[in-house]
Amino acid sequence: MPWDFKSDRPIYTQLIEQIELMIFSDTYPPGSRLPPVRDMAQEAAVNPNTMQRALSKLEEDGLIVTHRTSGRSVTEDENMIKKAKNKLAIDQITEFLEKMRKLGFDREEVLSIITSMSEEMKI
Amino acid sequence: MLSKLLKYEIKATARIFLPLMAVLLVFAGVNKLISSLSQNQWQAPEIISLILYITILVGILVMTLVVMIQRFYKNLLTDEGYLMFTLPVKVWKQITSKLVVAMMWTIVSGIAALVSIFIIAYDKIFTEQFMGAFKGSYIFEYFNLTTAIFILEFLLLCLVSMASNVLIIYASIALGHLFNRHRILASIGAFIVLSTASQILFTVVGYAFGSMYSSVNISSIQDFQAFASLVHSSMWFFIIFFGLLSAGYFALTNYILSRRLNLE
Amino acid sequence: MSTILECKGVTKAFGDKEALSDVNMNIDQGRIIGLLGPNGSGKTTLIKLANDLLTPTSGEIRIAGMKPGIETKKLVSYLPEKTYLNDWMRVHQIIELFMDFYKDFKPEKAYDMLKRLNINPNDRLKFMSKGTKEKVQLILVMSREAKLYLLDEPIGGVDPAARDYILETIITNYKEDATVVISTHLISDIEKILDHVVFINNGRVVLSSSADEIRNEKGKSVDALFREVFKC
Repeated sequence: MPWDFKSDRPIYTQLIEQIELMIFSDTYPPGSRLPPVRDMAQEAAVNPNTMQRALSKLEEDGLIVTHRTSGRSVTEDENMIKKAKNKLAIDQITEFLEKMRKLGFDREEVLSIITSMSEEMKI
Repeated sequence: MLSKLLKYEIKATARIFLPLMAVLLVFAGVNKLISSLSQNQWQAPEIISLILYITILVGILVMTLVVMIQRFYKNLLTDEGYLMFTLPVKVWKQITSKLVVAMMWTIVSGIAALVSIFIIAYDKIFTEQFMGAFKGSYIFEYFNLTTAIFILEFLLLCLVSMASNVLIIYASIALGHLFNRHRILASIGAFIVLSTASQILFTVVGYAFGSMYSSVNISSIQDFQAFASLVHSSMWFFIIFFGLLSAGYFALTNYILSRRLNLE
Repeated sequence: MSTILECKGVTKAFGDKEALSDVNMNIDQGRIIGLLGPNGSGKTTLIKLANDLLTPTSGEIRIAGMKPGIETKKLVSYLPEKTYLNDWMRVHQIIELFMDFYKDFKPEKAYDMLKRLNINPNDRLKFMSKGTKEKVQLILVMSREAKLYLLDEPIGGVDPAARDYILETIITNYKEDATVVISTHLISDIEKILDHVVFINNGRVVLSSSADEIRNEKGKSVDALFREVFKC
């Protein structure tokens, strides 16, 4: 899976986002084992140190757990994942709505655009 | 580590020398064959093959010198130096490996040359006469421990002076390396300076040594003891002189390559 | 985390020109560092000093706390910008040479990488293209389990596909206690794998920062910042 990063934002941040995405989209389902840091770093073509830091942060946030002998895996706590997923959605929507507001749209206009786009994209 | 360096140095140089020597010996054989066929008459094929042989003989002797210089310069002071000087090996071992192999090939070339001459000159009758004269000469009357020691001293002297000849070249190349431009010219200049200096030194010290012995009276060649001791001390004088000279050139080269290296 | 490479007031002068002036630097173990600067900025001089190929005019340079010498050469794996291999050898012979002199050299790794890159170990170096020779050199350097890898322009003369392979090799071969210093002016290709960057210009350290910090604080890629800092 090719990982695409922009060089003008911290790789660390982008890595966290990417891995979260893979967890939320079930590419790494709950409870699944993650490959070793080195392999993940190679796949992503990033520095293993940076990958390590990103995984540590995700562990702090509770999305990833480390087993003493068998490496890392995604948490089995589906609630935790759901919460994090929702938070991401809320962040995205907040950002979106802020932007819409700046552009001068009101709630009805925004909702109608969303509804029509939703039908078109079938989401 | 030194033995490993020697291994690679020999491998690198054998590729050039072994074929050359094989060619030399083959041509010596060819010469012999042609001359025996033509029955002591000088005809075209014999002349041509003789010229070829001599060319190769001279070529080998020249090659020994050229390869000696080229190995030191190319392998240590051009791009290959990046490999050689990052190996975890002390600089003196690098110099020693080059020195030993250069001397080795000089000796081997010399032997090969002699063998090839022998092949050409081999004549059954002549050899028998020569060996007979050799056996009956005075030499064996005096062949005792003293003579054996003389021969050993002489060989040691040959080795030490050969070493100093090689090391003066290395030192000249190293001195040339100190310059940023015109390095080859600088090396030649350094060589001239070093050889002149060592010759002056030799004359001065030799004179001093000689004057020490002027008091020794040799009534006749039969005064063997005095004669022997004179020869011994002369030998050792030369051995020590060339030994110190070699050590000096070696130290200079070692210093420059350790502390003043500047590869492009 | 100990310091693998330390420079204290390092100055190197050639005649009256200073290639490096009062350089101070501390590089920790287990990092991938970019030594970035334009041509002639002193990067190669610094690397040569670390390899004991040059002696500092003043100041000190230390590898794992030791002065450059035999013991440090055992720890340092160096890839020069030049092709330094003996022309007359075949690839497997140069591998044997490395095995002979470097205890930390792993021939299996080397042969593996040669296979991946379709290089025949029996080929003579003399008849190889420049690009292939450079790949062989890189393979030799990365097949050592050194503590400090000093790579001078490792991706300079190489095609883009090989470049990716080289970066991949650096990432996979790198061990947690090893440090890789990459000196280059081709930054956009490698910046994603760098932990830390040092900008050097006219023999002086101009900037020293973690790569992500630059992106965070300045909102730019390292490459963009480089172009800004070193604008002609």
